[in-house]
Amino acid sequence: MKQLEFKQEAAQRIYDDYIKRINRTVATLSNADQQDIQLEFNSHIYESMQGSSKESEIDSLLDVLQKLGAPEEVLTQLVADKKLEQATKTFNPVHIFKALALNISNGISYTIFVILYLILGIGVFSVGAKIFFPDKVGFYVYEKGWSIGIGENSGTEVLGNWFIPVMLGVLLLLYILTTLMLRLIRKLKKKKKALQ
Amino acid sequence: MDESFIHRWQSQLKKGTLSFIVLNILQDKEYYGYELIESVREHTEIEVAEGTLYPLMNRLKKDDLVTSKWVEQESGIPRKYYTLTETGVNTLKQMQMYWDGLEASIKRIKL
Repeated sequence: MKQLEFKQEAAQRIYDDYIKRINRTVATLSNADQQDIQLEFNSHIYESMQGSSKESEIDSLLDVLQKLGAPEEVLTQLVADKKLEQATKTFNPVHIFKALALNISNGISYTIFVILYLILGIGVFSVGAKIFFPDKVGFYVYEKGWSIGIGENSGTEVLGNWFIPVMLGVLLLLYILTTLMLRLIRKLKKKKKALQ
Repeated sequence: MDESFIHRWQSQLKKGTLSFIVLNILQDKEYYGYELIESVREHTEIEVAEGTLYPLMNRLKKDDLVTSKWVEQESGIPRKYYTLTETGVNTLKQMQMYWDGLEASIKRIKL
């Protein structure tokens, strides 16, 4: 991105600082999204400076930046929207985790998703536990019902080492389903927002 | 007269109609962000909190009402131009109809 150049050193420092704050706020997004936002805000600052009627450069810049608002505040919603979009597109657990953290205040449904993913996390943990304690962990069947994890003596472990691939398969399937559901919720919310 | 009530009402109304206004402005030609804000100000005397326009444009884009493209400039600072899509044009028509209907009913109430 071509940086703007200012005659006054103080103006240059204020501008540089503002751009740094933008970069920090959008750092969690994909490179393409980051660049898009940086370029658009940079363009906005440049065009507003051209249109400014203030005499001194630094007055114009302060005026422009104040009208634009603090990057941390202005960009919050945009970053949360774009992150969720990226997360549900890529199925990357790191993106999903970050997107949920950014959107947690946007409705109870996102809290439910946090819980769903946590349950999946416990499933993954049980697979790990099976590797270290093969005799104590598994899929147990009792006279009435069944359980996953550490079993009781009254039950029979039925999967043996198959527990690991079966469990991973089931978890993967649930992960995909949950993420597809998250994608659907995101779309529904967007529709609702558009109608408001 | 309760000034603060009117003030609150006005700001709600402005917020609610901003996308309608933006789509209306985009009808004639393509605009870049800053130019769009200036145009909203000129036509409506609404002071757009400038930073909020960009999230709005992002949502309009996701809803396929507008598209955008980067255009290089001599200054070396490219502009991002927004254009109405066909869906945008049709949506705007429906919004306009609803708006006209609303206006007519309010006038009827007053009579």
